[in-house]
Amino acid sequence: MSPHGETLTAPEAPTAATPAADVARAASRTGGPAGRRRGRWAPYLFVGPAGLLFLAFSLVPIVIAVALSFQDTATLGDGQWVGADNYRTMLSDPLLRTALLNTLVFTVGTVPTAMAIGLALAVALNRPLPGRGLLRALFFVPMVAAGVVVGVIMSWIFNPDYGVANNALRSVGLEGLPWLTSPRTAMVTLVLVVVWTRIGFCMVIYLGALQSIPSELREAAAIDGASRWQRFRRLTVPMLAPTTSILLILNVVFSLQAFDVIYVMTGGGPGFSTTVLIQYVFRSAFADARMGYAAALGLLLVLILLVFTLLRQRATKKAEELL
Amino acid sequence: MPTPVVPGRRPAARRLSRRSFLAVAGISVAGALAACSGAPTGTKHLRLSSWNIPLDLESYQALADEFVAAHPGTSVAVEVTTGQFHQWFITRLAADLAPDIIRITPQQIGRYAANGSLVDLTGAVPADYQDDWSKPFWAIGAKADGLFGVFQHTDNFITYYDKRVIEQIGVDVPQSLDEAWQWDEFLEIAGEAQKITGRYGFGYGWSGPETAYRWMPVVYQNGGAFLGEDGETPSMDTDAAVGALDFGRRWYADGLVSPANMSKSGGGAVGRDLFTTGQTGLLLDNPEAIAALDEARPDEWGTTYMIRNGGEASDLGGNALAVTRSSKHPELAAELVAFLTSRTNVAEFCRRGNWLPARSSLDAADIGYERHEATMQQFIDQAATIPLSMVRAQSGPYFSSLNSVFADYLDLCFLGELTPAECGAQMTEAMRSVTTR
Repeated sequence: MSPHGETLTAPEAPTAATPAADVARAASRTGGPAGRRRGRWAPYLFVGPAGLLFLAFSLVPIVIAVALSFQDTATLGDGQWVGADNYRTMLSDPLLRTALLNTLVFTVGTVPTAMAIGLALAVALNRPLPGRGLLRALFFVPMVAAGVVVGVIMSWIFNPDYGVANNALRSVGLEGLPWLTSPRTAMVTLVLVVVWTRIGFCMVIYLGALQSIPSELREAAAIDGASRWQRFRRLTVPMLAPTTSILLILNVVFSLQAFDVIYVMTGGGPGFSTTVLIQYVFRSAFADARMGYAAALGLLLVLILLVFTLLRQRATKKAEELL
Repeated sequence: MPTPVVPGRRPAARRLSRRSFLAVAGISVAGALAACSGAPTGTKHLRLSSWNIPLDLESYQALADEFVAAHPGTSVAVEVTTGQFHQWFITRLAADLAPDIIRITPQQIGRYAANGSLVDLTGAVPADYQDDWSKPFWAIGAKADGLFGVFQHTDNFITYYDKRVIEQIGVDVPQSLDEAWQWDEFLEIAGEAQKITGRYGFGYGWSGPETAYRWMPVVYQNGGAFLGEDGETPSMDTDAAVGALDFGRRWYADGLVSPANMSKSGGGAVGRDLFTTGQTGLLLDNPEAIAALDEARPDEWGTTYMIRNGGEASDLGGNALAVTRSSKHPELAAELVAFLTSRTNVAEFCRRGNWLPARSSLDAADIGYERHEATMQQFIDQAATIPLSMVRAQSGPYFSSLNSVFADYLDLCFLGELTPAECGAQMTEAMRSVTTR
């Protein structure tokens, strides 16, 4: 008997009344030699379109970039082979050192902050609260806004003369700050803006992960006498480890690629105080017309990302083995 | 007769088999590709690309339509240059899809004239054209190995003032170029203006890091130069150049100019915003400020000539027209450039868009500006002070890179991170690393 109470019967064998052609067609559809041939090709056909796109828009450009990085070329294409000159130049380029340091400061400033605030918001908005849906949407909105739009609006908000930020400070009797006009505060202001755009993303990802933690575990821990903080520290945080790992990699990638907000808000200034690596790549390519050098810098960026991802993967694996 | 309906099947007319779908898709893609390929139709088609300024786009199209009417079998489409210029132009040149004619600034043209991206217009432009351009303006397109563009219109900097502020200070406004305020005089007036506005004395008309070069005239006013006479040797470490940097440093050290009003770290047209909102009494800016001032403070402002310090100089604004190497009809494109830069058409273009003519024989009355004719004449007079050596420096092959260096170090000097002497020395060193590449 089937679960539905019907009697199961063996599939009906082809009867003499069934035309032979139909049988052959059915066989070819299911497992005849032609069908098997087709079956062998099917996965490639499914993967084909995506593979072609990857080839055209990722693999070929990467190969061209590697080739370009060994050339001296002012525009795309017609360069001269210079061996490893571009890589040698990188070793003695003071602006590259500044850009790398700024990139490190920017990444360290944005990634943990955005993730910590995102997690705190996710925990807060995972409970029944009035207007919870609206709050979640509000925190997520900055992530959807275009970087250039955010940059322009934030430039107005942080303008020292007529910006909202300084007007708010002055209205409570405080001095206005040189948000974007001092080398000492510009990077901090950029970090603030980028964290604001990114906390919604971290919140949503953490929220999804929090909802997948079985409530029985928390209840059991509470019955065993664990405090709220202990439950969070010893239960929730470890359960969120895979999500944290993915978010960490994604956020680092976002920070290394952050271009539009910085380009619009400071142009890398004042001086070189907010010039980051991706901006230096753009400047080398289009302002300085050094396509070969820009390609070498771009590959350096890829290398940094690869090394970081591998280290992170290794660390996660070790942590899993220890558990 | 109606299509017979087979039980269990949808009517044939509404069914789309896989093969039919692929056939339809194939035909559509082929059609779309054919449409994109610009397959020969007998008509010679030109594309002209301009900045996204609606009035100018209309003017170009109207003039192009006249050209087409006189040249049967041709067509001209006006397009918009989008995004960051160098990125846009380099990628299109690489794909051989650049427009036939490009509107390009003097600061951008040098690189492309030097690397073979532009077509030599010598012979295509009437020989007598050169006589109606000043030497500096003709030098924008004319290089040692050919003519790579014709300067169509210009703009430069003069001094805008708040009538109420100047009245309170009680100072006479210069009425001619040789009465223009000297630096010390100007700083004194700016100091008084600052007391009246309670915020700042004056503003400067940068609008982003790529416009850092707008400060370069100050170096030339002091007898300095960005590049030496050969147009290649960095010379920002001379006494005159360092003196100019020191003058600029005082703007910020004395609080006369807002720190947000800086080429690189400032956010857009801050100087103009501060003047239109009454937070400065003076503004050094180009004619584009007129529209904003007319809207925000009609009849409350006046203009006089650009400041000077022994030497005279003003900003080199404006655009040239050039033919790109992607053009399939370079002779026709060159003919269109000559047509657009004829005396009548330069006058018409400037009248519609409130631009200054590149041709020397045109004055404000010839053009017939709808408003502010006296102010526009001041700008036209001021254009004569733009030095040839500055034009050569700015329209040279390295200028895009050098302008970034200029922006970097101006910031550092004005913010007090480097002394003017340190700035001059370090900027020169950084410039040298560009010119000796």
